[in-house]
This record gives sequence, C-alpha cells and structure tokens, in this order.
Amino acid sequence: MTVIQTDNIVYYYEGASKPSMDGVSITIKKGVKTVILGSNGAGKSTLFYHFNGVVKPKSGTVKVMGKPVSYRKKDLRELRSKVAVVLQNPDDQIFGQTVEGDVGYGPRNMKLPEEEVKERVDEALFQTGLGEFREKNTMQLSYGQRKRLALAGALAMKPEVLIMDEPTAGLDPQMALELMELAEQLHHNGTTIVISTHDVDLAYAWADEIHVLKRGKLIYSGTSEGFYRDSAAVHSTGVMQPSMFVMNENLARMRESDPAPYPRTESQLISKMASGPKGGLEIVLVDGELGDSVHAALKGGRKTGVFGTVVRRLVSDSEKKADYMFNGFEACAGECLMGRDSVLLCDRDCLDLVKAKIEDLKAFGTDISYNVNG
Amino acid sequence: MKECIFETENLVYSYSTKQAKPSLDNVSVEIHKGVRTAILGANGAGKSTLFYHFNGIFKPVSGTVKYMGKPLEYTREALTELRNDISVVVQNPDEQIFSATVEEDIAFGPMNMGMERDEIERRIQESLFKVGMEEYRERPTIQLSYGQRKRVALAGALAISPKVLILDEPTAGLDPQMSQEVIELVEQLCEAGTTVIISTHDVDLAYAWAEEIHVLIHGDLVYSGEPEPFFDDHEKVAMTGLVMPHTFSVNSSVQRICGREVAPYPRTNSQILCKMLPEGSRIGKIRLVPVEDSLPDVPAEGLPTGIYGAITRRLFRAAGREPDYHFNAIEYCLMDAVGGKDSVLFCDAPMKDRVLEVIGRMEAFGKKVEVVM
Ligand SMILES: Nc1ncnc2c1ncn2[C@@H]1O[C@H](COP(=O)(O)OP(=O)(O)OP(=O)(O)O)[C@@H](O)[C@H]1O
Ligand SMILES: Nc1ncnc2c1ncn2[C@@H]1O[C@H](COP(=O)(O)OP(=O)(O)OP(=O)(O)O)[C@@H](O)[C@H]1O
Ligand SMILES: [Mg+2]
Ligand SMILES: [Mg+2]
Repeated sequence: MTVIQTDNIVYYYEGASKPSMDGVSITIKKGVKTVILGSNGAGKSTLFYHFNGVVKPKSGTVKVMGKPVSYRKKDLRELRSKVAVVLQNPDDQIFGQTVEGDVGYGPRNMKLPEEEVKERVDEALFQTGLGEFREKNTMQLSYGQRKRLALAGALAMKPEVLIMDEPTAGLDPQMALELMELAEQLHHNGTTIVISTHDVDLAYAWADEIHVLKRGKLIYSGTSEGFYRDSAAVHSTGVMQPSMFVMNENLARMRESDPAPYPRTESQLISKMASGPKGGLEIVLVDGELGDSVHAALKGGRKTGVFGTVVRRLVSDSEKKADYMFNGFEACAGECLMGRDSVLLCDRDCLDLVKAKIEDLKAFGTDISYNVNG
Repeated sequence: MKECIFETENLVYSYSTKQAKPSLDNVSVEIHKGVRTAILGANGAGKSTLFYHFNGIFKPVSGTVKYMGKPLEYTREALTELRNDISVVVQNPDEQIFSATVEEDIAFGPMNMGMERDEIERRIQESLFKVGMEEYRERPTIQLSYGQRKRVALAGALAISPKVLILDEPTAGLDPQMSQEVIELVEQLCEAGTTVIISTHDVDLAYAWAEEIHVLIHGDLVYSGEPEPFFDDHEKVAMTGLVMPHTFSVNSSVQRICGREVAPYPRTNSQILCKMLPEGSRIGKIRLVPVEDSLPDVPAEGLPTGIYGAITRRLFRAAGREPDYHFNAIEYCLMDAVGGKDSVLFCDAPMKDRVLEVIGRMEAFGKKVEVVM
C-alpha cells in the first residue's frame, strides 16, 4: 500500500534560480523501512517539507494515503497529526518553555482530553530518556537533549507516518541505538517510518528500501546493495559505501568466495568471519510488569539484554539492571556466537521481530537455538 | 613528557546556582600539544561546556584553565589574542553564522585580525575550496541547507589558521564524503602542527582517528588515555552512554571465537582482515606518488588509483581525472593490498610521512605492505 506519493514535483525556494526539487516522483510504501540518502543540499529536507504540506510544489502533486494534499489551514492541521516530521535542527521545532509543555503542545492542539495528553507526554518523555528533565526550561538543554525533545514532540502525536530528518546526528551512541530500536518497534506495530540520514552504516543496517537524491532529482530507488555495488554512482551522489559492505566485499575477495549473502549487522558479519560452538538464547517475554523469570534472569549468571521500550522502562526502574540495556538482540547474538548462553528480555509485541532476526542469521551459518518463556 | 596545550585544574562550572550538579564538576584534564584528541560522552555530559572554557567564553566558577602553561586572563585584550590562536567550531552552525552572505561570514575572522585585503581574499578562496563551497560564495547564508551551513562555519574557523582547532561534532550533519574530507583536512592540519580537538558521538571515527580520548559523564572526567583500555571495559562504556566501536567489537568477537589473543587491536577494517590472512598469502604493493604542485606523469597500468589530500584532489579535478578511490583512499588501497592486489596512491607531498606511517602499521597485524615510491 502506498502511504505517500509525489508525482513530478518541482519546487523553487524564493529567489532561487535553480529548483531544489526537480521533477521528483517518489513512492513511500507502508510496511517498508525507508531511508532517503543524498549529499548536503540534495533536497532531502525539502522533500520532507512536501510530505506534511509545509511547502507547496510549484508544479506536480503530493498524495498522502491516496488523497491529494489540501493546503487549507484546517486540512493541514489534520494532515500533520497523521504525518509528523521531526526536523533536522531541533531549534526550528521547539517552542514550549518547559520540556513537558513542548511535548504536550501537539496533543493539546489536537484537542485531546487532558488525561490522554498527560499519558502521551509521559510515554514520549520516557521513550526519549527525558523523564528527569520534564520541568526543565527548553533553553537549558544540551544540543542532543534538544534533539531528543523534538523527537518526543512528534512521538506524542502518535502519527501514522513518522518522518525523521537526520534523527541520530547529535545523539549519543546509546540513544541513537535506542532510537533505531524504537523506530523498529513502531514500524513493526504499523507506523510507517521514513528517515533521512548521512550515516550510511545505520541506513544499511536498517533500511528495506533506499531512495537517493542528487541535486533535486531522484536517481535511485531500490535495495541498498543494488546501489552500493555501483561505486561510480555512489561517488557521484556524495555518499560512501557502508563500512560493513566494504568489509564484506573485501572478505569475499580475500577468500575468493561470493559476497552474498550480504551481512548488515555485526552478528551477521562475525558469523561469516569465524565460527565455533554456539550458546543458547532464552527469550523472556514481558507484558506490563517484570515477572519472576525476569528477576531470576537479572540475578543469574548469564548475560542479559533488553529489547523493546516497555521492558527497558521497567528494567531501568528496577534495582538490578540488565547487562545490555540497548541493542539487546545484537548483544545476545554476540554472546551466543562466543559460545555463551544469554537471556533476552523482550516486549511481547517484539517477539516476531526477534524471531525474524534469528531467522536472518541462519543464512550466515548461525542457527541460534532458543526457547521462549512466557 | 608530552607538552600540555590546555590544562584545567578542578574546573567547576554551573549554568545557574540552582543546578543540583555542576555541568563540569572538578574536571582536571590535560590536552597534549600535537596529540589527536577526542572528547567523548553522552548527551549533556559537558563536552560543549568544556570547549567554551578553552576559548574563554565561559569563566570557571572555580578552578583554573591554562593555555600553554599560563592561566587564562579574561580581559578583552587577552581574550582577543587568545582567539587568534584558538578556533572553536560550535555544534550548531546557526550559533556561529551571523553574516548575510557566505563570503562575509568567512571574512569576519581574518578582518578582525586586521589582515590585508589580498590576504583576506586568499583565505576566503582557500577555505571555501577546502569545504567544497566555492560556488556558494555569494549566497545568502539563510539560503543554505543544514550541512552547507556546517561547512561554512568550518570554513570560517579555517580562515584564521588557528594553532588549536576545536571541533564540536564536526561531522554530524555532513554528508559522508564531506565527513571524509573533513577528517582528511584535520589529518593535514595535524601534520602541519595544528593541535586538533574533536568532540564526537561517532565512536568509530574517534577510534580510528584519536591517539588520546577523554570521557565525561555528568560533568565528571572518568577516563583519559589511549582508547583501547577504555573500550575494553564493557561496564564503563555502558555507563557513559557510549558503545564499542565496530572494529573493536568485531575483532574481539572473532579472535575470541577462534581462541586467539584479542591484541593487537585493529582500528580499521583492513587491519582486521590483515589479522585473518592465512600464512603465505600474497600481499599487494602500494605505489606511492607524492604530489607537489603538478600531477606527476605516472602510468596507472590499469591499477586502482586513490587520492589523498587537498592539493592532489584539486589537481585531479582540474585535469578531469577520475580516481577509483576519492575518499578514505589509504584504507581502500590497504584493503586491496590485503586482497593481494596492487594499487597506486597519489598523496600531497607533505602527507607522505603520515601515509607511510599508516601503511607501516599493518606490520603489527602480521603482514608488511610494500611501498614503491
Ligand atoms: N530557505 C532557502 N532558500 C533558498 N534555497 C534554499 C533554502 N533552503 C534550502 N535551499 C537550497 O535547496 C537545496 C536543497 O536543500 P535541502 O535543505 O532540502 O537539502 P538537504 O538534502 O536536506 O541537505 P542537508 O544534508 O545539508 O540537510 C540546497 O541547494 C539549498 O541550498
Ligand atoms: N544554557 C544552559 N543553561 C542551563 N543548563 C545548560 C545550558 N547549556 C547546557 N546546560 C546543561 O549542562 C550540561 C552539559 O551540557 P553540554 O552542552 O556541555 O553537554 P554536551 O556534552 O555538549 O552534550 P551534547 O552531546 O548533547 O552536545 C547538560 O546537562 C545541560 O542540560
Ligand atoms: Mg536537510
Ligand atoms: Mg554539545
């Protein structure tokens, strides 16, 4: 199903002699993790402004959920509650005086009951790790804290489409991993997610489909490998091949073997590079609270990881923390590759996601034996 | 003994008296002259706050900041003089760019230093070239994309040829090629004697680049030294909001699975691959061509060609020659070498020693890569 579709859009900024959007026809599909790539000035942000109606194309059309965008004020407000864009520069997005005021702004605008507003603010602040800052003045935050705040504002809208312009730039590495995991979970639960990023390693690990812009034109849509294999095209767009991709190509060359299957995660790459006896994985499902099996796991001798936002909230509030509070699946897969047993504490709604990751690893020669508890 | 360029002693700083914990809490850090230094830490750890102390924008609540052994003075003249030596490129370009057009913005620093017009002109051209923004010279600064504004902010700092260049998250928001160019530029400045200090959330970059790291957590300095001992301490890494660099964790896992020593620690993919090479594998040679002010006429003989350095890049562009490796070329050539393939690397003549050093490091990982001049 198509979520957003543009047809031949052209856009000039005021006074500009060259178009910043030069006949772009792009289709964003539901259920496809989408990344937009391109050099500085290629038009990524400008494209996003078209998706939520901030700018109107000079010619061409933008359709959201099959309907052409209407630029009437009332319609735009409705559009933006469905399609939320997190801007690249948080300062363009933060208006509230206090952190919680800023996050509540969107939901209040949607005329939601105050109770629901409060609930959404709480959740969004947790998801972005800003809980302790809720009463802080927004001017008194570090840059990365402001990036998190801008994201929280969008999450509180619970949009159908979440568009993030350079979301991880300026975030510390753990927060960046948490964000990508959140994106994965939201996506798994039906939100369509579109990301623009200069971090090709991250894009490679995450994207099902990439779109590449160059000087206002769309020059590639398809799989990552299809693009990166053509190094001349990659070069002409200001992008670089992901480190994982280069590593794998050279590994294949060194071994005179086929580069496929292409690893996109560290555990997949390591599986290709070395193999030994594997450890087992216990997946403990978590719903609303931490049960006995979770507490036992947190105490016991095996390494523990968490996957999912709810379980992370619960475990970080509990006395005993997990060994891997972020990137839990990869960490446990790493344990397993080194022959050690581990436990993954996992939100119930993420079980299928985790199973898919285990399935993906098989192609690289690693068959994790696991059992599900709960 | 390494010479200190900056030294703080029990530095304390709070933005307001109401702050429960100071943003910098008794930080005593030594930044060494000529040492490639990275400052790491989670969002809000205090990196930017520390940088503002180095150029005297902030004055400590208590404790001291020394530059070249002398405590900073906060008089206007002393600060002006200090800022002729030290450039800080702040994280958010919008806090740095004030002029209406790109060229005015870059001219600001040199003009303040009282340079001659010709010299200012030369510096504008040179710094615009370095950040790849020549065609935007007359553009109003508000008409630039985010990354383009980052580039302009960097150009402004380069234009004063500082002795110390401090970059707060320099690559965030830059496209991958420009990030590589910035790293290359930084290498070049280091080689020419500038001390460069970077804060970054890109641990892969920090690990590949830095000789020394300093790690902050909630305003406390918790680590100073070489990167390896820090990244080897999983709990500490987790506590500080960081993650292990990919090369570090891939190497650790692969070596452990194979039951081998984790050390020596590779910092690049080519070094990891080098460690994995079977005995007796053929290693490719790298033909190194130093470039002064014109392109030497070296037949490429169908070998892959890489370029390294701003002069080389400019000359290749002028000659309309397309290399195979435009960016990160040393690493690509080393990958070829590990794969048994020869390659040609054109590099700026002043960078020759640095390139040889990087290539020479492969020996520590089990294989010598032969260089032909
Ligand atoms: N307000 C503006 N007025 C005039 N031109 C603009 C304006 N904003 C952007 N542009 C131009 O439009 C083009 C596309 O800009 P856009 O911000 O969409 O790029 P981007 O792909 O998001 O880049 P970045 O990676 O740097 O964020 C650029 O060439 C830029 O210079
Ligand atoms: N203007 C300000 N007023 C009050 N507090 C501030 C202000 N600026 C920063 N702080 C606080 O000081 C602490 C350190 O901030 P700083 O900007 O130095 O962090 P940082 O390490 O640079 O973070 P980031 O990675 O997000 O850029 C943070 O807790 C932040 O909330
Ligand atoms: Mg942009
Ligand atoms: Mg900062």
